[in-house]
Amino acid sequence: MGASPLVAYPNDVLQQQQHQHHRIPSQQSPFRRQPSVNPPSNGTPLLPGAGAGGRSSAPHPQPPATLDNLEQMNEDEKRKYVKGRKLGEGTYANVYLGHSRSDPSVLVAIKKIKVQKEYQDGLAPDAVRELKYLMELHHPNIISLLSVFSSKDQNLNLVLEYLPLGDLEMLIRNVDSVSYGAADIKAWMGMLTRAVFFCHDNFVLHRDIKPNNLLIAADGEVKLADFGLARSFADPGHKMTSNVITRWYRPPELLFGARHYSGAVDIWSVGCVFAELIIRNAFLPGDSEVEQIALICRHIGTPTEENWPGVTLLKEYTVPSDVVPVLGKEAYMGRFGAVGSEGVDLLVKTMILDPKNRITARQMLEHRWWRTDPKPTRKEDLPRKSGGGAEVKAAADLKRRPGVVADDEGPRGAKVARKLDFGAAKK
Amino acid sequence: MATEDVRYRESSQFRLWSFSHSQLAAMRENTNAKAVASISERLSSLGATVPPSSIPMDISAPTSTANTPDPEGGGGTPRLPEFLSPADEATMVTFYTAELMRAGAHAEFSDEIIATAATLFRRFYVTNSIMTYPPQEMLVVALFFGCKAEGAFPRITDFLKTFGRERPEEILAGEFLLFRGIRFSIDVKHPFRALRGAVMELRSLGDIEETRIEAAERRAKDILRFSPLITDAYFHYTPSQIMMAALSLADRSLAERLIQATFHHVNVPEISGTNSGADTPNPTTTNTKETNKSEDNKAFIIGSYVRDKVLGTIESCRDMLSKELPERKEHWANRAVYKAQVVPLKKKLNKCHDPDRWNLVELQKVRREQALSSTKKLDGSEDESAALKDDGAVFGSEAKRRKVSGNKKLEDPFGGPL
Repeated sequence: MGASPLVAYPNDVLQQQQHQHHRIPSQQSPFRRQPSVNPPSNGTPLLPGAGAGGRSSAPHPQPPATLDNLEQMNEDEKRKYVKGRKLGEGTYANVYLGHSRSDPSVLVAIKKIKVQKEYQDGLAPDAVRELKYLMELHHPNIISLLSVFSSKDQNLNLVLEYLPLGDLEMLIRNVDSVSYGAADIKAWMGMLTRAVFFCHDNFVLHRDIKPNNLLIAADGEVKLADFGLARSFADPGHKMTSNVITRWYRPPELLFGARHYSGAVDIWSVGCVFAELIIRNAFLPGDSEVEQIALICRHIGTPTEENWPGVTLLKEYTVPSDVVPVLGKEAYMGRFGAVGSEGVDLLVKTMILDPKNRITARQMLEHRWWRTDPKPTRKEDLPRKSGGGAEVKAAADLKRRPGVVADDEGPRGAKVARKLDFGAAKK
Repeated sequence: MATEDVRYRESSQFRLWSFSHSQLAAMRENTNAKAVASISERLSSLGATVPPSSIPMDISAPTSTANTPDPEGGGGTPRLPEFLSPADEATMVTFYTAELMRAGAHAEFSDEIIATAATLFRRFYVTNSIMTYPPQEMLVVALFFGCKAEGAFPRITDFLKTFGRERPEEILAGEFLLFRGIRFSIDVKHPFRALRGAVMELRSLGDIEETRIEAAERRAKDILRFSPLITDAYFHYTPSQIMMAALSLADRSLAERLIQATFHHVNVPEISGTNSGADTPNPTTTNTKETNKSEDNKAFIIGSYVRDKVLGTIESCRDMLSKELPERKEHWANRAVYKAQVVPLKKKLNKCHDPDRWNLVELQKVRREQALSSTKKLDGSEDESAALKDDGAVFGSEAKRRKVSGNKKLEDPFGGPL
């Protein structure tokens, strides 16, 4: 014994070590809302040499067949779930249906981030951002991240709560089979606003709010998903990119190239979703950035120094020459009156051109609309899309590359673009 | 609406990466012991099979006497190197954290990027040993990932140019490892903004000289950029506690003034924690929010009991930071210190590091090959039985497992032999 610095553990000491192990916080699962009741098996001692046999593919250095601490924890996390059939395939990720190994009735969505050919710089920004914020934000109206693990080929797998009822976009577009009213809109808007408030209260900008990022849980709860473009509030003076938010939902300050902005950018998107819920069509479906600005000028008003001091200093400020004065609430009543006068008041405030004057998420929650009749529908009673399709759609939403404008990608884009031609033809 | 405290407790920084002093020490000892055990095992098995004349590996019979003259006489674990102790590892982590910060400053990264990188680096080495993964590489990886964590996504080639390096694969191979090692928690909360807030509050008091405030801010900021990052402060204290400790080191009476201004309410003797009567507002229950007890609750929070607790915490954080004030930067960059403290450990490390994991590029390659072959083996199917089969192959059978852990050589938890 004197010759060696090592002595073997007596077995009981090893046991003790394992117990200690369980008390060590970081050895436990970082995810509190595990659907499974599987006790963490991380107490498993490391197995140096176990399984080292049999594989002699490379003579030297021999492949490290054993797992270290890290790899072991990863295996444990991975083993908690069983990956099922593929729900959808996209450029950014594949989405699989999965379930908890200990309780197969607990369904999850496993989002497997693809290794991207065109991004040569390691872990892709969208994956990093998405994980960063989903790890921190726990709220009933924000999709919850249940676990993360890597598969051996170093693909990231995000285990997300399974949201089987599609997304808001489906409900909006299915004019023939889904009908809903002001009370339903109020319920959905309430959930969306609470999610956005929570993000902003935690100093997070979502930067990609749109109906197909609003997924619907089995109980009707709306969940904000896709944090692939999110970022924390910047310090004053720090520049941010203006190239965020899917075009139709992008506020004028970003279209004008502002590099300093606030939660007001998300609020504009919320307003666009609100309008879309009412008219059951995209409110401002611009084909290009120029077109987008033109639509804003026509339907809301032309941003000028009078209604937005300083706007002309923004780098990409250009507006159509025929200046449209900012429309008042009355102008909206005809098209959006279904949500009542208070509802329209809220809508107008979300779409104030000058971001400094735009309503905040907190002010939105304090608005009178929520307390006027009709009361918001209880989430269980909200209209939903029955039958297939929802699941496929939700999977399509999860796997889409964040920030890529949906209308540039899929069949929906083509369809909507045609629609747009009618509208644009007026010009 | 959640208070700031409640919100902080939701953060991954608190949930996953905040520990008591004894917890942290236990984790590090555990990490060290495991690394020693696994590297010993590995080195022994390599030592038994690598002699020049031996035939490449017959692992199914590791105790085979075919080519080894006398395994029994060799004493079972011959020629094992001297391993790093937990204290050695701590010194190395500290040294490399200093190196990381130097590199970050050289590259002119923002305070946040450097601070995040340093924090992630130290978190990684709580559950991973310096002997397992190479710190020199991991510090560059941490800087690269720190950029990403803070929302900057540099091109790897540009990033490497700054450090005069050329092989992107070295960084990229380590990136995923780091990511996993930090349990995917990317968000690090820093005390920099808290300091700005404190300075504004001091200004609003109206009777403090501006030059004094500015001097205190400068010094406190310098401290925040170094001291909490190279010590364990982030593991034990919240950003605001760290900020107050730094401010206190910069100008103690200014810090005390802030505390005074916050805890101005002093007459709450009857609810000083010992009394748990029915009418005592308990700040941890959820239903106190809108009751008329909220006044009492407020009195409790800004009363002397909490104030003294806060003062005590700030004081202990101050002690920790005072051991590594910014002047110590020179200490860690000093050649003599390097020679006396770091070089001996590096020499040890050269002999006792994990032979399988030291080369990150090679490790990644091996892992990828394993993934590929296991996918082939499973024929693409991902159902439960196949997965279990796979796990069996990785872990070995239960019986084998026991046997191995029974024979395992581990470092004595009560210290080395006398």
